Amino acid sequence: MTSTSAPKEAVPASNTDSAATLDRPARTPRRSPTDLSFVLDEADVTARAANEPDWLAADRRDALERYRSLPIESNQLYTPYVDLRPAELGDVRVYPLPGGPPLGAASAADLPAGAVALARFDEDKVSAISLDATARDAGVTVETLGSLIGRDAQLARRLIGGAGLPGDDRLAQLTRAAWNQGVVIRVPKGVRLDRPILVRWAAGAADRAIFSRTIVELGERAAASIVEEFVPSSASDEGPDSGQALFTSTFEAHLGAEAELAVASIQDFGPRQVLFQHRTAAIGEGASLHWALAQLGSRLVRSRVDNRLEGDRSSVEQVEIVFGTGEQLFDLTSYTLHLGRDTTGNLLSKGALLDRARSYMKGLITIEKSAVGTDSFLGEFGMNLSKATRAVAIPSLEIDQPDCRRAAHSSSVGPIDANQLFYLESRGIAPDEARKFIVLGFLEPVVARVPLEAAQERLRELLEEKWAAGADGTAGSAGAAA
Amino acid sequence: MTSSKTREAVADRRDQYAFHDDIAYLKETKRGLTRDTVEEISAFKNEPDWMLQSRLRAYDHFLKRPMPMWTDGLDKIDFDKIVYYRKPSEREEKSWDDVPEQIKATFEKLGIPEAERKFLAGVGAQYDSEVVYHSVKEELSKLGVVFMGTDQGLIEYPEIFRKYYGTVVPHEDNKFSALNGAVWSGGSFVYVPKGVEVPLPLQAYFRINGENTGQFERTLIVVDEGAKVHYIEGCTAPIYATDSLHVAVVEVIALPGSKVRYTTIQNWSNDVYNLVTKRAHAHRDATVEWIDANTGSRKTVKFPSIYLRGENASADIISVAVAGKGQHQDTGAKAIHLAKNTTSRIVSKSVSKDGGRATYRGQLKVSPGATGVVASVRCDALMLDDESRSDTYPYIDIQEDDTTMTHEATVGKISADQIFYLMSRGLTENEAQNLVIQGFLEVFTKELPMEYAIEFNRLVKLEMEGSLG
Repeated sequence: MTSTSAPKEAVPASNTDSAATLDRPARTPRRSPTDLSFVLDEADVTARAANEPDWLAADRRDALERYRSLPIESNQLYTPYVDLRPAELGDVRVYPLPGGPPLGAASAADLPAGAVALARFDEDKVSAISLDATARDAGVTVETLGSLIGRDAQLARRLIGGAGLPGDDRLAQLTRAAWNQGVVIRVPKGVRLDRPILVRWAAGAADRAIFSRTIVELGERAAASIVEEFVPSSASDEGPDSGQALFTSTFEAHLGAEAELAVASIQDFGPRQVLFQHRTAAIGEGASLHWALAQLGSRLVRSRVDNRLEGDRSSVEQVEIVFGTGEQLFDLTSYTLHLGRDTTGNLLSKGALLDRARSYMKGLITIEKSAVGTDSFLGEFGMNLSKATRAVAIPSLEIDQPDCRRAAHSSSVGPIDANQLFYLESRGIAPDEARKFIVLGFLEPVVARVPLEAAQERLRELLEEKWAAGADGTAGSAGAAA
Repeated sequence: MTSSKTREAVADRRDQYAFHDDIAYLKETKRGLTRDTVEEISAFKNEPDWMLQSRLRAYDHFLKRPMPMWTDGLDKIDFDKIVYYRKPSEREEKSWDDVPEQIKATFEKLGIPEAERKFLAGVGAQYDSEVVYHSVKEELSKLGVVFMGTDQGLIEYPEIFRKYYGTVVPHEDNKFSALNGAVWSGGSFVYVPKGVEVPLPLQAYFRINGENTGQFERTLIVVDEGAKVHYIEGCTAPIYATDSLHVAVVEVIALPGSKVRYTTIQNWSNDVYNLVTKRAHAHRDATVEWIDANTGSRKTVKFPSIYLRGENASADIISVAVAGKGQHQDTGAKAIHLAKNTTSRIVSKSVSKDGGRATYRGQLKVSPGATGVVASVRCDALMLDDESRSDTYPYIDIQEDDTTMTHEATVGKISADQIFYLMSRGLTENEAQNLVIQGFLEVFTKELPMEYAIEFNRLVKLEMEGSLG
């Protein structure tokens, strides 16, 4: 990705000492920030591979090799800003193989209002997969990875073979090696869905790990929108002393020429969740991709988005918000690679932080020599609402082609604007209410982009609840007084 | 401006700076770096034992510390090929007449005597690893201002020296600060007493002479309460085929209410690795300004830094880089806010051309407790052709809730409209480009004393000629 990340550093002394991590009350106080406390049961990966086609077993083995040798952060630009210490995953184990039909098909369910398809997962089970009949007749498919492998080995091999996931990313390779759940959505050439597809993941059972993949393929001129929800499951234990849960997810998008995809994601996992996310997109000629990503839940989120603007005139818009409270840490990286001519990238990240929450926003725009006529903008904006918050922004540019329409980034961190506050108060709005309006307005760009009405409403409520919970304590109003 | 005049102004004067005198070196260490080399250097200099111990501690850390991986190409440095200490003349010279003829001839080419006659307060010219010529005007001596070689400062002002040496840039800061701590030689030692305003800039020329000669100067500037000083360094170096190494450490201590400006024009020849740690501590109500330009060297890694340690301290950093063929300017700035109501401004401008690479790397940090901080960062990059590269890596880390911070960066090429406009007024394309680039860099040039501004514009023109002529 960057020439500055030349030879890899050795993986720091790692987590092989499971005896120490099992002993939860006596937590090792001085863990290295790059030490992943999770112990992958490699026998489990091997056991899964034993029942799978050879190509898939080989894919898992290759990923496992990389997982063993890679550092947690292979980009030297970002090594100072890695902190996995909030994750205490020493006791976390993958769901055992026979626990239900994790890779199997599921029963049909009623579609939620306004959605064209639904894929719903609850812990290690597929709880519902359903698809509107008209869409099915048009050739749209929504199925689990297990179903696809059984049905069409060649297609499965093309889509699941993990070459699209970042090869230098240890956590992406973890998911590629150990995935035990997944969904594939395909929209054929020329088919334009006017209603969104809802994919809902429920997780959070203590000491359990789920590794999931979502693969989306849009043919030429196809159009679709997808709403992803990450919610606490009924098994989710939110007590401060309960074990943590690990969830990893991917979103692997392939956009054919002139295709249009809009993705809205709302992450509201419980407070004991550790989440690692990888989103990748290969964007074809004239195709456009819109991301609207909301990060609200989890103890620790480490997420990475890789946008590859391969086709001429392809474009990506990425809007991401973080609303952190308590001790939450959001570690978000986005890579945008311009390869085609006249491509457009518009990336905006916004974070509002309360209490002792932290956000690390790392972004890198790379304009390759071939990418003549690029227009690329990266904005990272933060609002620190409490004294003990921490906002890190690293909006970077690597440019090999000066013939561009625009290559710029911008970043700011500041408190709530006093003029805005004064204006609202002068209109008779109470100070606390005014502060809420300003903060929620700051985060509105993602809310407005959620296509499914119920999901949009839910996100608004979640933000309000979170504000209320934060503002009750020291944070919201105390910050105003400062 | 007529075109013939312009042509004259951009005439190639590079050979004026490209010379190599055959000097009979009186003392030098063997190539390569061992514990013995460090002990030998310290013995040559008759240093107090604490300095020897400090050097050895730095040497140990240098060995332990891995090579930084966040920038590339440093692994090409062959530390065994470098001569770490070379002494061109036996003692420091106070008077120009006493300077050996050969060295004097070199300085004539650099124009030091004229510069001095004009307005310089003092000259510390570094010829390889020792200060050979040094004069401080009498009025400055009367004011109590100390401006001398760092080796001399260690002997003559041991209390001030030991109190501040290594406090701003500890040996353990990075691999190259450790290397400098082990083998440093030469550099400037400046002390400005309380309330003294130095009326004219203090100026030092630094030069590398000799193939594979390392240059490891150490500069320590202490500006006492309410005092004010402007220090200028400019570099020229002969051109050689094999790699040279320049590893300097500059420490600036701006005590309460003082004001320090440190101006650098770096124009090492294109075979030099220029790896410099420059850092200042700004105490209460103090102002520190780094005005830093990098046009030469094969690779420069330098991020002038200001630690704002006292309330109401302020920092201003202007960093300019021109990267031509085979060059990588990995430069930038750091402002670390540690106290209340501190302010900082960083402006960076870079030009890359002929396959050169310009990288801005910067850090802006607001620590817990540093309330009321106002900070801004502005980076602009011009790329003159398809072969060149420009990177921007800003690190922003805010740990307070009332910081006001803005950061902007843009990268692009020279606007065709601007060139067209200037050409329609009778300029050639080259002249038009030169003018646009000079305008782009003006934020830097306007901060320079006039003589330097002229020289800098000439340097930039020379740099541009390679591709435009």
